Amino acid sequence: MAREEKGIKVLLCQPPLETHSRGVFTVAGILRDAGMEVVYIGNSTPAQVIETAVQEDADVVGVSTLCGGELVLGNEMLRLAEEKGIKERTLFLMGGIFPPDDIPKLKQVGFGGVFPPASTGKEIISCINTGVSSKRKSRK
Amino acid sequence: MSGKKTTKQILMEKTKERGRTPLYSPEALQKIKEGFNGWMSSTVREQDRENWEVTPHTLLGSDIPRKLIYTPLDNTDLDYIEDLGFSEGEPYTRGIHANMYRGQAFTMRQLSGAGSPEEVNGRIRMLLDHGATGVNLALDLATVQMFDSDEPESIGQVGTVGVPIDCVEDMEAIFKDVPIDKVSASIVTHFPRNTAIIFPMYLVMAERRGIPWDKLPGSVQNDFIMENAVRSAIEYIPPRDCFRVQCDNIEFIRKNVPKWNYITLNGYNLREYGTSGVTEMAVALANAIEIMEEMDRRGYHDVDWVAERMAFFWAPANDFFEEVGRLRAMRKLWYQLMKYRFGAKKPRSMWMRCHVQTSGISLMREEPMNNIVRAAYHALAAILGGAQSLHVDSYDEAYSVPSEESSLISLRTQQIIEAETMVTQVVDPLGGSFYVEALTKEMFERILGELDEIENLGGIVKAVESGWLQRKVTSTIQQEQKMVETGDIKVVAQNYHRASDVKLPQVKVQEYSEDLHKRMQEKLERLRQHRDAKQVEKNLDTLRRTCKEGGNVTAACLEAARVGVTEGEMRRAFSDAFGLWRAPIYA
Repeated sequence: MAREEKGIKVLLCQPPLETHSRGVFTVAGILRDAGMEVVYIGNSTPAQVIETAVQEDADVVGVSTLCGGELVLGNEMLRLAEEKGIKERTLFLMGGIFPPDDIPKLKQVGFGGVFPPASTGKEIISCINTGVSSKRKSRK
Repeated sequence: MSGKKTTKQILMEKTKERGRTPLYSPEALQKIKEGFNGWMSSTVREQDRENWEVTPHTLLGSDIPRKLIYTPLDNTDLDYIEDLGFSEGEPYTRGIHANMYRGQAFTMRQLSGAGSPEEVNGRIRMLLDHGATGVNLALDLATVQMFDSDEPESIGQVGTVGVPIDCVEDMEAIFKDVPIDKVSASIVTHFPRNTAIIFPMYLVMAERRGIPWDKLPGSVQNDFIMENAVRSAIEYIPPRDCFRVQCDNIEFIRKNVPKWNYITLNGYNLREYGTSGVTEMAVALANAIEIMEEMDRRGYHDVDWVAERMAFFWAPANDFFEEVGRLRAMRKLWYQLMKYRFGAKKPRSMWMRCHVQTSGISLMREEPMNNIVRAAYHALAAILGGAQSLHVDSYDEAYSVPSEESSLISLRTQQIIEAETMVTQVVDPLGGSFYVEALTKEMFERILGELDEIENLGGIVKAVESGWLQRKVTSTIQQEQKMVETGDIKVVAQNYHRASDVKLPQVKVQEYSEDLHKRMQEKLERLRQHRDAKQVEKNLDTLRRTCKEGGNVTAACLEAARVGVTEGEMRRAFSDAFGLWRAPIYA
């Protein structure tokens, strides 16, 4: 099947020690309702996330973090993605609680969308649709 | 549970035996009814008659329908003595102390954490200097999840949302010069395993300072629901084993630290995760019941001795009168449960004593100063509901852990309620309100109804093992998100009267300190060099054996803490012994 006909596959995870999952489960429901395939892997190290993203051939990797350390973890995750050769073809998103100043920094290291509290399902879905379609074009 | 009567059945039988004396006479009710009907047809607008009951939707709401007005007709069966009584009198609906806040103001217990053990010591002392009357210690994520600061998983998480604790020395730094025999400390340990590891470190610290354990006031969380159902984690032990560790902690603490509240039945985090105020309380009650039964199996038949140190932790959220009503309902329900189901004799074990923390989920990122107002209403509901101890969430909740400034505003919020609003002068001021009494009854019945559902599933451990609780939460939060997006739930400045130009305020947030992480790592390295490696191994072996073969794990952790075993090392011993469990996930 040609890539663009396939549904969108989203890998959702949290950093290894994150205790909160309300946000990630809310988003999982929204994406599933929108017809996407959601693979939830729970608390994972950046290395585990990238390894699974490779195995699953995920279009999107979504990270939910509420307790700080997003820059350290985000940098490490995208460094590993680059190392494994999936940074360009995968859309990385982050949601949760972080200081406003970190949002541009996360985008700079390669997060295609950053979603603080009160982001809507519509915003997330639209970001994924646009982001994935442009990533798929660049894959060709 | 099969064949056994459920709590609901027991309470219905016992209360029926007592008979009832309704407050309102049939004549009075008849007269009110006639007046009501006349008013309804002559004065009430048609549209209001048609929409007599509406169901208000709010975050974490219970969706109980509300009438336009409440009257004695909504309380026809109300029996003053049976349902309300007097404060410090059965059934304790009106409060657990006769003079309530006139006698003693609620404990003002703001969470302190974030930063190094030394910095947190500074924050604790600042809050105490400004009139806080208790300590509420938040742990960083690595400590909550029982990882040492130098494990790879801890990268980026040391000292961010609480204080790191790896060993007894950290506990010594946090509580340096804090009078722990006078000021009560709430240690937010979350999980049973975590409690078994961290609390003994507190005890060793007290021992080294020469303070006897029977002088120590305070509480730990120690709730298996937190570990297996509420919190996300990289490693879980099976619910049944986790429940056992919870009860080992209870047994050890009850016997050795008599003034300590050995569990804070944690409704709060379950509610905030995504449940109504009804489920929050039903789940906590179900856990309490299984604890009482387990302690009885272990040979502690004196229910008063067991129950008098059980405490609760609730999350008052937006629906103001419902919050007041359910605290009142829960006091009556706990009293009936202890008296009729367990045969308690002492008032103290029939008191539903609680700490409350205002709802964090209800605080918003847009125009965050509005959160000061929201939290003040939540706090007021808790006080009108008769809570013993309070933490007010800070306005920067959607950005970061509280800054020193926002933390002080939260403390000031409490002090304003206590000293300026005068609401503390009269006991249970909303008692007797037709509306609040009807809501109190409704909440009582709904909580008891959900408890019945859990008991019919085989109890709370089974309800967690099977994923019943997790499924319930996931469906609630997904439904709630839809209602926020459609505007059925109004959130001011977010989806209701949103400013056309949302400016993000300058909120000062704590920066991650690589330096602190490094210092914690170096300290662990020094500890590992200087401690007796043989003793460490021996104690870890004992801990693993105790997990597998029986005996009290808390006592084993205490010995391990004494010889310098770290938190992460103890966690691995638990995981090795019990094996890991995968939570049923219903994302």
